Amino acid sequence: MKDLMLKVRNLKVIFPNQMGVLKAVEGIDFDIPKGKCVAIVGESGCGKSVTSLAVMKLLNSPPAMVRVDELVLDGADLKDYTDQMMQEVRGKQISMIFQDAMTALNPVMTIGKQIDEVFIRHGKMDKGEARIATIKALELVGVPEPKSRANQFPHQLSGGMRQRVLIAMAFACMPKLIIADEPTTALDVTIQAQVLDVLSDMQKKHEVSLLLITHDLSVVANMADTIYVMYSGKIVEKAKVRELFLHPHHPYTIGLLGSIPKLSDEVHKFVQIPDAVPHPMFKPTGCYFHPRCSHSTLKCSQVMPPLKTLLNGREIRCFHPQNVVDFEEVAHE
Amino acid sequence: MKSFMNGLKEMLSGIWGFIRKLWRHPKGRIGLIIVILLVVCALFAPWIAPYDPYDVTQRAQKGLSPSFQHLLGTTITTGQDIFSMLIYGTRVSLTIGVVTGVSLAFLGALMGICAGYIGGFADTLIMRIVDVLLVIPTLPLTIVLTNLFGRSYLMIILIFTLFGWTGLARVIRSLVLVLKNANYVKAAELAGASRWHIMMKHILPGTSHLLIMSTALTSAGIMVAEAGLSFLGLGDPTAISWGKMLAEAQSGGALLFGHWWWIIAPGIGIFLAVFSFMRIGLVMEEVFNPKMKQSSNIYKLFKNLNNTYIEEVFSSMSEAQILGVGGEQS
Amino acid sequence: MQKGYVFKRILYAIFIFFIVMTLNFFIPRIGVTDPAERYYPPQGNMSEIEYDIIKQVTREQYGFDVSTFQQYLNYVEKLSRFDLGTSFKSGSPKVSDLIAQRLPWTLVLSVTNLIICLSIGISLGSIAAWKRGRWQDTALLNASTISTALPGFFIALILSFYLGFELELFPAYTNPNMISQFDWSFEAIKVVIANAALPIISMSIGGIISYAQGTRNSVIAVTNEDFILTARSKGLSQRQVLYKHTLRNAMLPIVTSIGMSISGLIGGAVIIEQIFNWNGMGTLFLEANSTNDYPLMMGVMLFMSSFAIVANLVTELCYSLLDPRVTVGERR
Repeated sequence: MKDLMLKVRNLKVIFPNQMGVLKAVEGIDFDIPKGKCVAIVGESGCGKSVTSLAVMKLLNSPPAMVRVDELVLDGADLKDYTDQMMQEVRGKQISMIFQDAMTALNPVMTIGKQIDEVFIRHGKMDKGEARIATIKALELVGVPEPKSRANQFPHQLSGGMRQRVLIAMAFACMPKLIIADEPTTALDVTIQAQVLDVLSDMQKKHEVSLLLITHDLSVVANMADTIYVMYSGKIVEKAKVRELFLHPHHPYTIGLLGSIPKLSDEVHKFVQIPDAVPHPMFKPTGCYFHPRCSHSTLKCSQVMPPLKTLLNGREIRCFHPQNVVDFEEVAHE
Repeated sequence: MKSFMNGLKEMLSGIWGFIRKLWRHPKGRIGLIIVILLVVCALFAPWIAPYDPYDVTQRAQKGLSPSFQHLLGTTITTGQDIFSMLIYGTRVSLTIGVVTGVSLAFLGALMGICAGYIGGFADTLIMRIVDVLLVIPTLPLTIVLTNLFGRSYLMIILIFTLFGWTGLARVIRSLVLVLKNANYVKAAELAGASRWHIMMKHILPGTSHLLIMSTALTSAGIMVAEAGLSFLGLGDPTAISWGKMLAEAQSGGALLFGHWWWIIAPGIGIFLAVFSFMRIGLVMEEVFNPKMKQSSNIYKLFKNLNNTYIEEVFSSMSEAQILGVGGEQS
Repeated sequence: MQKGYVFKRILYAIFIFFIVMTLNFFIPRIGVTDPAERYYPPQGNMSEIEYDIIKQVTREQYGFDVSTFQQYLNYVEKLSRFDLGTSFKSGSPKVSDLIAQRLPWTLVLSVTNLIICLSIGISLGSIAAWKRGRWQDTALLNASTISTALPGFFIALILSFYLGFELELFPAYTNPNMISQFDWSFEAIKVVIANAALPIISMSIGGIISYAQGTRNSVIAVTNEDFILTARSKGLSQRQVLYKHTLRNAMLPIVTSIGMSISGLIGGAVIIEQIFNWNGMGTLFLEANSTNDYPLMMGVMLFMSSFAIVANLVTELCYSLLDPRVTVGERR
């Protein structure tokens, strides 16, 4: 598969603690094709942020323990890379946009200096060259008066500007892959749209692969090509964005879609998923979703359904998939 | 009267809850046991101590070494039984520490809540006082004031209280500033509750854990301060206290004659009292912020991880296994 | 750092000084109508007439024969010439001269102590944070629970007993001649170092441990911040993350506690000076107290408070240099 930018196979992350073992991510597989945007969607606590940190190999041990069969970035398997080797990869080949720009930026350093660091580290530039590059990068993400802004501290900028700074920092060395972990959650809705526009413009213009991590399906609708729905540490559904919105198969996905408010149809009731994601230490037996699922049967409470691949490439982990169209049959292994 | 009784009952059950929590914590239990021992010593000093150090007729030969008759020997200067002095010294230390600690908690809470909740002029005034008290050196100020107003223990407690509340008030103030914006406080304000009612019913309970914790910690600090003051010969001249025992040991030639027990004994007394109160304060902090404790223990945990168990956990999550079981079923 | 901020802080420090100065003026006057009674309390064998004469003389000598307000003005006017008044000591030495005499000797102890505490404490704390959860960290934790419960003067007594009397490594008491005969010769400096060793060791044990514990907690708190993750995601090496991001942020609370140590440099060694018979500001104050020498006592107090005010001001300005957020929102 040469056109894959990132290929992850069987990624597992656990957090041992006094009470037992917290299973955050339970063996997930996903692929990101070159130049495409892939989204991982799920409620908070389903393990999606941990997944993003695991790809960057930024999880500290202790407290985390990570296992992965394959972690291939553009043909190079990062699985056995040491932290020192990863330092060459981070920022240059993969970079990350964090959720809350207020806490993700160093409060006592000017934003210019914080972006300079990336250029100095990876671009083999001196301080002066780095600053010129920084100002250019800030301009690209739409920060007005980038020259004077570069000398300001994070607390002097607005939330949207701070998020743009993070985006500029991530795109600084034009990495192959960018991971955006809830890039707009901390922002107002109007600012959210602006920042998403910047992000998707940058991604399309520079043909960078993007891994978008969010709990908000409406965010991914316009950006992502493929969506992985994650629940309690496992992938429960994978589909192209259009197919997912038109024919969601997994009851959980249907629930997620139902919780997006729509202007068009007022008749529809606001669908809610009862309860919350199970605590990662006390997961139910069988399918993790069955206590909240309206279609669950006895089998669901006893056996974890396998992840089945359908003929059109969709994947689904459910004994009772909904809205299945005729031509979609289970592909035989 | 009835509401007062109810309040008292509530408070007592709260305190009982704290003691139970402390007892369940291994470190807290040590602190609690020492405190109980010290309280017993203080309450029953006349029965525990073999001699009455205040009684001039019960003095023995001067400068005796430890023996069964005098467990810690006698003083070189006056021939008092050192062990008995040690037991009686508990009274001074505990009384001053606890009484000051509790009154400081009251004053600190009052000032902090006034500054934080009422705000405006009250806040400015209180914070100015805090800034002034912060720059005046504590020990010299205490010495000047005891010089002016006498050195009875009541006066010492009063001085410690009046000038020691600044730190607590600051902490309470910043907590109150957070609580003030909590929804339930806003709701009470909208419902027309009086300021006094909100302060007593909503703000004060929110700070209670901090107050109890700081009472334990400040009591410990005050015990050290009192020992220092007595050591300088500026405590209550009529009482027997550990600080004064140390001063007498130093001036009475314990160093010169090699009577180390005369120095060590009151030192251990101070140490135990301060240590136990601090332990309790720190354990409370841990109980209220469980996050802190967990993060420090995780390293210990990782050292003793059961590898086969971890392997089992990892393999239990594999897709292959699920498929295997699932395949049988379908 | 904005100029307006600096100006505001300086004005505020002056305001605090005025309050402290005024308090200082009124404290000895609390509870007596005539300050002369405070300065010369009635003695048992004195007749009423004799005492009246003494009071009269005292009033004239210390300027109490005018209204309280006028006395206050005189006091402020004298202070503006750095005149803190006259001591009761024989020869009526100026309080400012006495302070100038004793101050260097206190600073020898407390500044050396502070340097030792900072250098050793901060390095030990960083090591403990680095080796988090290993024996170095546990050792620091245990040491700090024990040392915080041991008063410094008790440690001092034990040290002077064991190292001074038993092993005779260092002098257990300072010879008062050391100060009067000090002449900057090599021998004299050697004597001072030998005599200062025990007081400094006993002061620094607690200080080292508390700075180490503070540094450790601060470093660990910063390590858990999100921006450290950002820095690592940029590909910075662990060393770069530590020096450029962690330490600078971890220094902020430490700067505050350094400021507190500095404001206590003069008044913080009273008991230690007393134990080792070290003739510094602390013993000067205790002497004044035992002879009811109010001008000297209050002069020393005012000096200590002013020093603390300046130290606080400098700390706040340094802090605002390190933390750009301070100039916007007040730090409390």
